[in-house]
Amino acid sequence: MSAFEASAPAAPPVPASFPPKELRQACDEIVARYPTRMAACLPVLHLAQKHFGGWISPEVEAGVAAYLEVSDSHIRGLLTFYAMFNTRPSGRHEVWVCRTLTCWLRGAAGLRRTALAKAGVDRCGVESPDGRFLVKDMECLGLCEVAPAVFIDGAPHTEVTTESLEQLMDACE
Amino acid sequence: MTAKKKASKKKAAAKGPAGSTPAPARAQRGADGVYPETQILSRNFGVEDSWTLAVAREQGAYTMLEKALATMTPAQVVEEVKTSRLRGRGGAGFPTGVKWGFIPQDSKKTKYLVLNADESEPGTFKDRYLMELDPHLVLEGCLLCAYATGLDVIYIYIRGEYPLSITRMEGAIEEARQAGYLGKNILGKQGFTVEAHVHPGAGAYICGEETGMLESLEGKRGHPRIKPPFPAVEGAFGCPTVINNVETLAHVPCIIEFGGAWFAGLGIQPDPANPRALGSSGTKLMGVSGDVKNPGVWEFEFGITLRELIYDYAGGPLDGRKVKAVIPGGLSMPVLTAGELDVPMGYDALQKVGSGLGTATAIVMDDACDMVEACENIAHFFADESCGQCTPCREGCHWMEKIFARIKAGEGTPKDLDLLEHLFVNIEGRTICALADAAVWPLRSILRKFRHEFLAQMPGQSDPALPAGSAAVGAR
Ligand SMILES: Cc1cc2nc3c(=O)[nH]c(=O)nc-3n(C[C@H](O)[C@H](O)[C@H](O)COP(=O)(O)O)c2cc1C
Ligand code: SF4
Ligand code: FES
Repeated sequence: MSAFEASAPAAPPVPASFPPKELRQACDEIVARYPTRMAACLPVLHLAQKHFGGWISPEVEAGVAAYLEVSDSHIRGLLTFYAMFNTRPSGRHEVWVCRTLTCWLRGAAGLRRTALAKAGVDRCGVESPDGRFLVKDMECLGLCEVAPAVFIDGAPHTEVTTESLEQLMDACE
Repeated sequence: MTAKKKASKKKAAAKGPAGSTPAPARAQRGADGVYPETQILSRNFGVEDSWTLAVAREQGAYTMLEKALATMTPAQVVEEVKTSRLRGRGGAGFPTGVKWGFIPQDSKKTKYLVLNADESEPGTFKDRYLMELDPHLVLEGCLLCAYATGLDVIYIYIRGEYPLSITRMEGAIEEARQAGYLGKNILGKQGFTVEAHVHPGAGAYICGEETGMLESLEGKRGHPRIKPPFPAVEGAFGCPTVINNVETLAHVPCIIEFGGAWFAGLGIQPDPANPRALGSSGTKLMGVSGDVKNPGVWEFEFGITLRELIYDYAGGPLDGRKVKAVIPGGLSMPVLTAGELDVPMGYDALQKVGSGLGTATAIVMDDACDMVEACENIAHFFADESCGQCTPCREGCHWMEKIFARIKAGEGTPKDLDLLEHLFVNIEGRTICALADAAVWPLRSILRKFRHEFLAQMPGQSDPALPAGSAAVGAR
């Protein structure tokens, strides 16, 4: 789970208008599935993250909170708990490298080094300086029989080698 | 397409109308001594477009729902499942029929089924096959559970990292709704009204723990609850709730088809001399991953040995390597050594040798695996995934990881091993949920069974009995 933020914000965020009209119907349908509005948080945050460029800014966080009638801090609690959400700009391409036992046995540590080198960063979880990549260390992705596994922008890649990972990342804009 | 066996060679024969096929017979080792695969749950895995309603119907999908609605009372369905001695496939092995019996029938509240499709246990990928290749079987199992226990709403909690499972289950729900298998008065049965929705997770192992899952479903952080109250009485949104694993419920249609007694006759019988040995009836999806030639998932009747699974199906170790250690079911079970593999895959048998069936998906480590590094890797997983509510788990998993890192860096002393043992005692059984126990079990067993490898990495402690190069080999 994510580390503590280094600095406090200067002012409360101005809530984004949420849902935007493209998401209105989908969000309302999601809310209708549950007896409480709060229960819609995860599916709605997934939609919001996809729509707003791969991360949830404080403004979007406040917008979702207002829509679902929960506090901003409730949403922040979710964003920092669940590995799939990002609270910082996430680059144009998100690369998840599985690090758990089976993938590690099959060479995941080398993939991680390759991914970080390609992105030009020294650790996971930070956007690359050119804004192209965010490399994330993930726990078992459930593709162990075809390990090692990598996801790029939500799409699974299996039996990945350092060479094939370089090619996959080269193909990213 | 992520299910590896999609283009499998077998072509299942159309099943035809209910009751027209004979019940599959018991598995017997052939003349070659090989334990055969079974295709009951997995019978449609090789069929083209098996996930669509049109194809699934040709294979008999929903005929068991029809049969139950037309000829059985809900109580009879529960009885049949009790007779089958079906046990939960999510890891804990609780008898499914007994769990269903806990749902209060006099309650006026909405009742829920939360299908556990979180499948975040490392090394586990079996439910993914069911959801990707036979989502209508999964849904039919859910509907039979809903009928048996009087449920109103089904939430299928699928981990967010399973995009194809989410798509396929959502597609199946939509098709089923249009065909009248979901919604109001299903198949004309007055009062049998059930809705189903997929709920996506967002990356948190702890949401596979049943009450962590309920919190997550309610839109909160996945913090497991203190029990009691149990979910059967006070589960999702404060209402009676059944929580079952995907594979558990996928077994129910065939139990209705061939009968609970047939299912109970498959696999390993209970031990009459030991009331706690409830047996392992039926079949199970079993998998192998890690250092083997042919990792994968297969369906077997309980009883195949771990060795047969690894050597006859997963192809054995990679060329020139030897199996060193195996965790038989996911990451959360005690490890077995290469000499301990002749144990039948079953709940009681694995418990008897000090491990557990878990999810029945083995992780194999070979002789190139450095056990200190493996422990660091395992401890990191649990430290990363601890929800943080309980001090022993939150702090303890990080401490264990740091101690293993210290040993790996050549800065450990034998005192560190005592410290680890002290931590194990102070973590296991002292927390709200079983994640902390799950961290202790593999680590403690590795430490005890491969102690020499830990000592070998400590300055001045190298073990002369150790063959050269057998520790600290694999710079992964
Ligand atoms: C830390 C932890 C993680 C778990 N993860 C899963 C999981 O991913 N899938 C699952 O079906 N059960 C998981 N379980 C077991 C569930 O708590 C629960 O026992 C199970 O879903 C019950 O269904 P069953 O009786 O059909 O097996 C987990 C348990 C713990 C303690
Ligand atoms: S044992 Fe760990 S994961 Fe389970 S509730 Fe406690 S802190 Fe959370
Ligand atoms: S360990 Fe990497 S996908 Fe399971």
